Amino acid sequence: MNASEDMDLVFQALAHRTRRDILDLLRAEPGQAVGHLASNFDVSRINIINHLRVLETAGLVISEKDGRSRRLYLNLMPIQMVYDRWTDRYSGYWSDRLASLKYGAEQVTKLKGTS
Amino acid sequence: MTQPTPMAEKAIYKTFIAAPIETVWAELVKTDAVLPFFFGAVCKTPGVLKIGVPMAMQTPSGKNRSVVGVVLEFTPPHRYSHSFKFTNYDDPPCTVTYDLKEVEGGVEFSLITTNVPRDTKTEKSMKQGGKFIVETLKSVVETGRPPLVARMMLGVMGLFEPLAPKASRSENWPFDKIENL
Repeated sequence: MNASEDMDLVFQALAHRTRRDILDLLRAEPGQAVGHLASNFDVSRINIINHLRVLETAGLVISEKDGRSRRLYLNLMPIQMVYDRWTDRYSGYWSDRLASLKYGAEQVTKLKGTS
Repeated sequence: MTQPTPMAEKAIYKTFIAAPIETVWAELVKTDAVLPFFFGAVCKTPGVLKIGVPMAMQTPSGKNRSVVGVVLEFTPPHRYSHSFKFTNYDDPPCTVTYDLKEVEGGVEFSLITTNVPRDTKTEKSMKQGGKFIVETLKSVVETGRPPLVARMMLGVMGLFEPLAPKASRSENWPFDKIENL
């Protein structure tokens, strides 16, 4: 697989609200089990498992065996690679905007997590 | 009465690096040279890296040690783990583990942080540092230099050395003290 195909997988994975919500939940509570994660959604567990498979293939989620269950972790690196691809080219712009973007995004994530 | 420190769940930063596993390993465990992936610090240890020895990440001038720890695992070229304490924070050490797995065309590289004390400056810094380390190491090994954002950051870091806190001064962190962390 080449880098372009890798990035296709990342964008495909991110192009679904449920999968983005899954990443939010894993960020807020790393290491949670599939069942616990699925309890946040009104869809079937199988449906969530399918979404997780897409996220795992893209490298956005890492699942580790822990006895009989699996523990899930968010992996930031594919998003970092997307970011780096354009940050290099437009770094002048981004270095100015980065700080406000970061604080804004973190604030939003925080509010989401407590509501 | 002391309460046990609550720990954050472990965090994993994983990426594919298109380079031979030996190359990645060599960069990871390099001592006595400036390491872009570790914020331009130099890894110092008495003798060679192996289980049980103390190590320190110090500024190229040698005046300050930002991170100190003890080697917990050393299995070339697959696994390297050490305790990790920020000298400027009053937090207990956490653990950083580097996992290298040979895959087709390169290495699956993971940085795993564990035993991070929850809601501390250490936790915040580990979150910011983890991805920087992985992306910069990937870039250095694949292209021979750090990404532009990292180069910009490394460029200004030296300027701040005079502002380093007293707690980080190298004389406060001799190897025999690190050993007993």
